[in-house]
Amino acid sequence: MSDQDLKQALLHLPENASEAIVNSVFISKLLLALGFQQADQIPEFPTGQGSQAVDYAARKRIEDDTFIQTQTNPYLLIEVKGRDINLCEGSPQYGRTVKQLKNYCLAPNCKTVNWGIITNSQHIQLFRKHGKVVYPATLCLKLTPDNVTEILLKIRQKIEAPTKALTVAIYNNKGGVGKTTTTANLAAVLTLYGKKVLVIDFDPNQQDLTHSLGVEVGEQGFYACMENKRANIDDQVIQHHRVSLKNKRFVIDIIPSDQTFADKSENELRQELKIFRLRQILEPLKSRYDYILIDSSPNWRFVSTSAIYAADVVLIPTKHNNIFSLKNAAIAIQKYIPEVQEYRKDGGPIALPIFFNGEKITESQRTTVQNAIDRIIEQVRREFNLIPYFYPRYTKAQKNRYVFDLPSYAHISNAAFDQIPAAYKSKTARDYYLALAKEYFLQ
Amino acid sequence: MSNLSDIGNLMYLYLDEIDPGNGTDAPKFLITAAAKALNQYGDRNWVPVIVKEIGEDRYQVIGNTFIYAVAEEAGLEKIWCIIADEREETEKLTQVLSGEVTPKINLSQATRDEIKDALQYLIEKPGSLLKGVNLLTATNRIDAAPRQYWKTLDPITKLKCGITKGKLKALEEVFDLIPQPMPDVIKDPAILKSLTTTELKALAKQRQLTGYSKKKKQELVELLST
Repeated sequence: MSDQDLKQALLHLPENASEAIVNSVFISKLLLALGFQQADQIPEFPTGQGSQAVDYAARKRIEDDTFIQTQTNPYLLIEVKGRDINLCEGSPQYGRTVKQLKNYCLAPNCKTVNWGIITNSQHIQLFRKHGKVVYPATLCLKLTPDNVTEILLKIRQKIEAPTKALTVAIYNNKGGVGKTTTTANLAAVLTLYGKKVLVIDFDPNQQDLTHSLGVEVGEQGFYACMENKRANIDDQVIQHHRVSLKNKRFVIDIIPSDQTFADKSENELRQELKIFRLRQILEPLKSRYDYILIDSSPNWRFVSTSAIYAADVVLIPTKHNNIFSLKNAAIAIQKYIPEVQEYRKDGGPIALPIFFNGEKITESQRTTVQNAIDRIIEQVRREFNLIPYFYPRYTKAQKNRYVFDLPSYAHISNAAFDQIPAAYKSKTARDYYLALAKEYFLQ
Repeated sequence: MSNLSDIGNLMYLYLDEIDPGNGTDAPKFLITAAAKALNQYGDRNWVPVIVKEIGEDRYQVIGNTFIYAVAEEAGLEKIWCIIADEREETEKLTQVLSGEVTPKINLSQATRDEIKDALQYLIEKPGSLLKGVNLLTATNRIDAAPRQYWKTLDPITKLKCGITKGKLKALEEVFDLIPQPMPDVIKDPAILKSLTTTELKALAKQRQLTGYSKKKKQELVELLST
């Protein structure tokens, strides 16, 4: 019985087992428990990034193609540590290990990877890779001889049935930073790349996304689905924004804003709906789309909380010349999102690094905004490390204050009048949003 | 390495035994000011010069030439050096690591991020030829082009990203090309589009297709990509 084997392996491992011992005693059993046979595993798999290698890569056999023979298209990566490395969430060693795994996942030979695991046989955490995004799929779980079988079974279920869609909430507590424009154009560019995209207008007070895509605001449809547990989102609720370019047709599916959300008070909404309801009803749609983008409203009330709760990752547009958009981004990252994480208990959602949206930046403005960000980071340094969310390329040796910035372009804001995203109509706008999509999502 | 060899050692060598190699073009001010600091803080160059052995008691600087120049200016008789081996690659690497030569990346295989960083470096350099080139547009176009087959950087001028023939020189500073051979049968429309009509017709002939002679470029691309 492999269950017993796993349990035994854990019992046998000494307190201070080194990485090599964890590898030989535990990992081979773990891979078997996850359904990977001997011929499906390669230790020290070269990632193609310089000379680095990941501890284990695995893929099941596809027809005649055995992983150990062809050594291509890995599906799962495992980064193993010894028991002397503390993988408790929040420890510096944990942070480094996660970073290491993310690097491996994004390396040239690992484009096909769907899942990543870090473990030292005392803790284990599963990560999902979707395009360029690597996000937690479980908490960092404590392994004991008693729960190891159960935990690995859960991980196996996830690995064997990956959801196709990445759910992204576009959120900033501050209004006017271009959430709706970002959602519409990002969706457009993703469809140009052959992705199936659903956008959800979850800003009931403005309903701008619905209008900008030339769709009618719904009445009752979406709300009724949210209220009625058995109802599914069906083709009556989902509308389509169709565009023809050079004889090719592109479609963005949209769940339009529902007037009912705007008509009900915050109290009524909280009485009638649960915060996790949106996540629940999106579940069946996740096999139909590559991306689900939720345009959420600028506050921290029921609708926006639901949007964050439903998301795998949160994309936060800011304006470099608006200090409040930066401060609010910091609050969302350091307070709101962790609140939801605590409630959801699967490690998600996580914030993506911020970007500057649609304004020209002069040299002196760049200095000003960098100083402002430095102050925001410094203020909370003791409680929370904001650096990866504001300066993703900053390391101890490289004081790199890079923030992705989407340049301004008149066509982008004007496009709302035409009820078609600028990325469909203008080559320059397409280039800009393609750069955004490549920065965050497409590999 | 035999223990008679000095490779890898830190040695205190006479300045006049060392050939300065290519010399440095650092501004006079930096050299004199640094020389003053060197005198003031004890005449010891804690950052070593990198040299290779070229004969008995003869050495040549291959990296940190600036420090050699400073020591000379400061009037030092001896200088701390690290002895490197004589391979050409070692010299190249040392110059890159000591920041004297800009490293190049292989554009045939570079990732999108590498291209973006390289272009940003060029655009932001003072007095850059590429001033005004749109970083995001140029990155997208170059990234998406069939650059793995390029033998020169010239096709970049046809990508309509603001980089004209006169500006290509700037790109040569950071980009190398180690192209792959063209595949025997090209079906990728992106690659086909980068070829001339004459080349396309030659391909059609090679594949023994018929009825191509009067076709326009777009039609030829369609014909060859199916």
